[in-house]
Amino acid sequence: MTFWHYLGRKLFQLALTTLIIVTLIFFLFRVMPGDPVKTIIDPQMPPEARAQLRAQFGLDKPPVVQYLIFLKNAARGNWGVSFFQQEPVFRIIMRKLPNTLLLFTSAVVLAYLIGVPIGKRIAWKRGTPTEAVVTFVGIFFYTTFLPWLALIMIWLFAYKGIPLPWGGVLQLPLRGMMTPEIWSDPAASALTKGLDVAVHLLLPLFVLVLIFFARFMLLMRSSMLDTLEEDYIVTARAKGLEDRVIMNRHAARNAMLPVVTAMALSLAFSLNGGVLTEKVFSWPGLGTELIDAVMKNDYPLAQAAFIFLAVIVLVANLIADILYIFLDPRIGFES
Amino acid sequence: MAREFTRRLGRVRRELTGVWRVFRRNKLAVVGLYILLFFLALAVASPFYAAREPMYEPLTGYDPEILGSHPPSLKHPLGTDFLGRDILGQIMKGSQLAFAVGIIAALTSVVIGTLIGLISGYFGGLVDSVLMRMTDIVLTLPSIPLLIIIGAAIGKQSIWIIVVIIGALGWPSTARVVRSQTLSLKKRPFVDAARVAGSGHSRVVLHHIAPNVLPLAFLYMTFLVTWAILTEAGLSFIGLGDSSQVSWGMMLQWCFTSGHTFRAWYWILPPGLSISLLTLAFYLIGRGLDEVVNPRLQER
Amino acid sequence: MKTNGKVRRYLFAVMCASVLGSMVVMCQCGGSQLPLLGRKVVLKVGMQEEPSTLNILNYQSVWSGYVLGRFYRTLYDEGPVDFEMVPILAESLPEYDAATTSCIVRLRRGITWDDGVPFTAADVVFTANMHLQIKIPSLYYAAWEFIDRVEALDDYTVKFVLKTPRATFFSNTLLPDNFILPRHRWRSVVEDIKFTADPVGNLMEYQPNVPVGLGPFRFVEWRRGSYIKVVSNPNFYGRGLKLKGLEFGPFMDEILYKIYRNTDTAILALKKGDIDYIWWPIQPGYLDELKGHPDIAVTTNPANGWKFLAFHCNREPFSDVNFRRACHWLIDKDFLVERVLQRHGQRADNVVPPVNKFWHNPDVPVIGKGMTKAERWREAKEILTNAGYSWVVPPEIREDGAVTPGKGLRMSNGEPVRTFSLLTPTADYDPLRAISGTYIQQWWKEFGIPVNAVPTSVNDILRRADPTGDFDVYILGWIRLPIDPEYLSTLFTSRQAVKDGNNTSCYRNPAYDALAAQADAEMDREARRRIIFRMQEIIAADVPYITLYAEDVIEAYRKDRFTGWVNEPMGIGNPWSILTIKPVQPR
Repeated sequence: MTFWHYLGRKLFQLALTTLIIVTLIFFLFRVMPGDPVKTIIDPQMPPEARAQLRAQFGLDKPPVVQYLIFLKNAARGNWGVSFFQQEPVFRIIMRKLPNTLLLFTSAVVLAYLIGVPIGKRIAWKRGTPTEAVVTFVGIFFYTTFLPWLALIMIWLFAYKGIPLPWGGVLQLPLRGMMTPEIWSDPAASALTKGLDVAVHLLLPLFVLVLIFFARFMLLMRSSMLDTLEEDYIVTARAKGLEDRVIMNRHAARNAMLPVVTAMALSLAFSLNGGVLTEKVFSWPGLGTELIDAVMKNDYPLAQAAFIFLAVIVLVANLIADILYIFLDPRIGFES
Repeated sequence: MAREFTRRLGRVRRELTGVWRVFRRNKLAVVGLYILLFFLALAVASPFYAAREPMYEPLTGYDPEILGSHPPSLKHPLGTDFLGRDILGQIMKGSQLAFAVGIIAALTSVVIGTLIGLISGYFGGLVDSVLMRMTDIVLTLPSIPLLIIIGAAIGKQSIWIIVVIIGALGWPSTARVVRSQTLSLKKRPFVDAARVAGSGHSRVVLHHIAPNVLPLAFLYMTFLVTWAILTEAGLSFIGLGDSSQVSWGMMLQWCFTSGHTFRAWYWILPPGLSISLLTLAFYLIGRGLDEVVNPRLQER
Repeated sequence: MKTNGKVRRYLFAVMCASVLGSMVVMCQCGGSQLPLLGRKVVLKVGMQEEPSTLNILNYQSVWSGYVLGRFYRTLYDEGPVDFEMVPILAESLPEYDAATTSCIVRLRRGITWDDGVPFTAADVVFTANMHLQIKIPSLYYAAWEFIDRVEALDDYTVKFVLKTPRATFFSNTLLPDNFILPRHRWRSVVEDIKFTADPVGNLMEYQPNVPVGLGPFRFVEWRRGSYIKVVSNPNFYGRGLKLKGLEFGPFMDEILYKIYRNTDTAILALKKGDIDYIWWPIQPGYLDELKGHPDIAVTTNPANGWKFLAFHCNREPFSDVNFRRACHWLIDKDFLVERVLQRHGQRADNVVPPVNKFWHNPDVPVIGKGMTKAERWREAKEILTNAGYSWVVPPEIREDGAVTPGKGLRMSNGEPVRTFSLLTPTADYDPLRAISGTYIQQWWKEFGIPVNAVPTSVNDILRRADPTGDFDVYILGWIRLPIDPEYLSTLFTSRQAVKDGNNTSCYRNPAYDALAAQADAEMDREARRRIIFRMQEIIAADVPYITLYAEDVIEAYRKDRFTGWVNEPMGIGNPWSILTIKPVQPR
């Protein structure tokens, strides 16, 4: 089997899974109790007007017909029009998707950069008080209730603020991802705007990184502990190699593999945290959009938001699968 | 009959003592156990605390002398919420609910997961591929978004329905582990022996394989409890909870929607801390039990 | 190799430090002290949601009105404070002729659209014909279905001819939401979609990039999910006009609508000075904190609306008016106001709230006000006993006022009353209604009425809240009722007790229907008022709805920024305020 065969098979699986999810979600939304026509609460609206509106949304057709129409259109990139924003769903999703990816990937990458080295080191120092404390802190953040942690962070950093050594209080912004005064000013430079987004990103990122970091660290620690018992590490030690070399070159490299797999498997789980974080910080991403759309009974938008969230997980899994091939020398393809 | 029972009881006791000896060595797990016992005590004490006076009834009781949210006092050790309801009483009631939520959801997951794992591992072939593909799909579904949609689809926000759905989504991890365990057990001589002796599939699975995978399933249950409590609280927090119940997530939601988030530390800290601590406890205990079930880990 | 690593690490550290440093600077100069704004006077408003589109016809929520309503004008409006009709684009009050069922409206002269084209009768006729032809469901039926034709007598005189007399002509056709559109901009749009398969849908989806209006403000920029910027219109015709002691501006250069999804963040922004006003009512929980702030003022106004509990009058036991009346007596509205609303609200005892002074009937009997539980129980027990109801364990009221709970209410035919559900909104939608539902459940249960409060998503309640829907009792609310109580003719009449109708209670009373028909056709305000009073009495006696309470509208604004807000029953966030507030001169 060549790499391309492998990739082809994986892509086919991805497409199939997406189709299953799409179908599942579509019918789940059809049994939803809401009727978008009913959310227009207006005592002046007579019965005939409601019926007319329902026809306008295409809701008067049987579900199976609606499903087929939906599939046909979705394949063409036409995901329908949001009931409430009256804008093509696909355009809304494409506007929100980068925000979610920005928050989520930067959190994963940062957490990885911090979590893996720490996990590596504390595994090396097992049995010491440092290891016990760091492990405990890791477990604490891992099991902590995220929205609550986020609220505490808002309280500390955005509400109370941090007193600065040179006077004044540093208060982080806590809403959305931009300052209207800056973005609506024609004179503001791209750099100012970029920094403005970065400042807004700080708090949600911090919370997500805390949670993800704990996960990476714990995974790396236990994987490293497994590896350290392997024969070749014992041999390397017997040969008198420097500790740092054994830790970094021999142990860590092999300990990484299970971490990558485990991370891929838990991506869906991490996304849960991402959705809650977005909601608490009003971060304009897919998660916030999903929750708002569900609350407003805006099916076309809600189902698309969910499907895209699921596809993010699927694609990330695929990337992890491919990474795994390059990381693990034991897997090879005939060329 | 009675003797058989005593004999079995003795064996169970010996086994438990053995488990405790290993478990005890993990300091963190013991800490977890203490936290768990603390919340258990709160849960048990809840009805007694509430029964003293009508105003301590967690959902509808209120202190007639207080209007609005008040900081801690002798009468209300953790203060009151905006209706004048006692917060400590709500925390205690919430503890009851958290145990119920966690255990029911985890039990649902473990039962489904174990069944699917056993069937998949034992029969193999097409059944196995279909079930495992299904497991993979459920595993890649982001559960909170899915629960948000399902929660909205149900409309009626009953905590028990939410709990069962949480349970119904949590089975894949258990299913995978049970399956691989079943695969290795299937090849053991005693299973072959049983089959040669003429036992049917169901008998082999239920009497020979299932008892051996149960400890592992039980271990996963402790982790699932953590997950279930966090998920239920998360749903309540964003507004998809059951407002006719006093759960910790709901307390946070009340605090949030009534405009007290940054104004009443005595109201917002306890529920969040309780959720975090109880899930921490279950997780730590799970790790401790992990060492019992997987002896190789004991050295750490 | 080693040095390399060190250099890299050093560079990395410098980079991190500089990024963090600039962020700190950004944080500190965020908000009001930004130098970029210069000398311009900007009103910064916190909004919870944003309009759905810039198409004024696609009027989905109050948020559309808050923004798009600044660009366009109507012929008339409800005047400040007392809601008496005042001319806006019209020059004088409408002249109605009963004999020909027609009405003359004379227009103001010398007004131009934003692009310089003069505003004339042709615009009004165009807008009217568009409504008559396209029939946008949400706008057409209440305001246009009874209009026969609209014609221009000359450039500044318009004649409306009605098919039949209809009171809503004044309150709906000439009043809010029927914004006049520029003919020269919209004609091609309407022509294009008129003969398509779905004209309404296509008209709704039309998205003007820059709406052309003639209102006090013009559109500049909209960044979805973040902000909308509008600037004041230098040619606004209303500048300097006076009405009831108010002088019109606008006295600001810009409005920046900033979108905050939740109240907590908006409150913080208000305290920091990032916004001048939060354009939605806030929970009483924030009051203590805001009252301590030197630059923030809090206003409280009564609401023209109420939260209610609706019975399904087609089902047992709610089909019996005695049962509904007894249920009403058992609800302690004083408690709800005192405890749940924390005194920031009023009892609702009538379907037309007292703030609606002209239409409110003050003689409608009030149930249970100031009475003890024992007194209210006695009333309820008497009603039910007289109607033949019985209990397995009857509720007892002792001489000293103590009560003992009852159990197992039975109807007059001896059958036990079935256990029914009380659908209440969830806590995140409205914590106060959720908790009220819990208390009402408890009060009824104590009396032996088998009920379960079921927290239900609002979407689900709305779907079930249909004359053909599946519910027993539900709690919802009408937040912004129109001043003219035309809703009395839709919420409770038999013709609306069909699928998709508004009479969700399925309340049927021929006498009431006759009165409603009479009120609808009565063009004389005083005569109409007498009929409306009678209708209020019938509803109060027959209890298809139990009106529960009305929360006060609590709002907060920066008093160091703008002054002169106009208090109205629905709060200070009304178009009059935006037109008349003036910046406070810096001390």
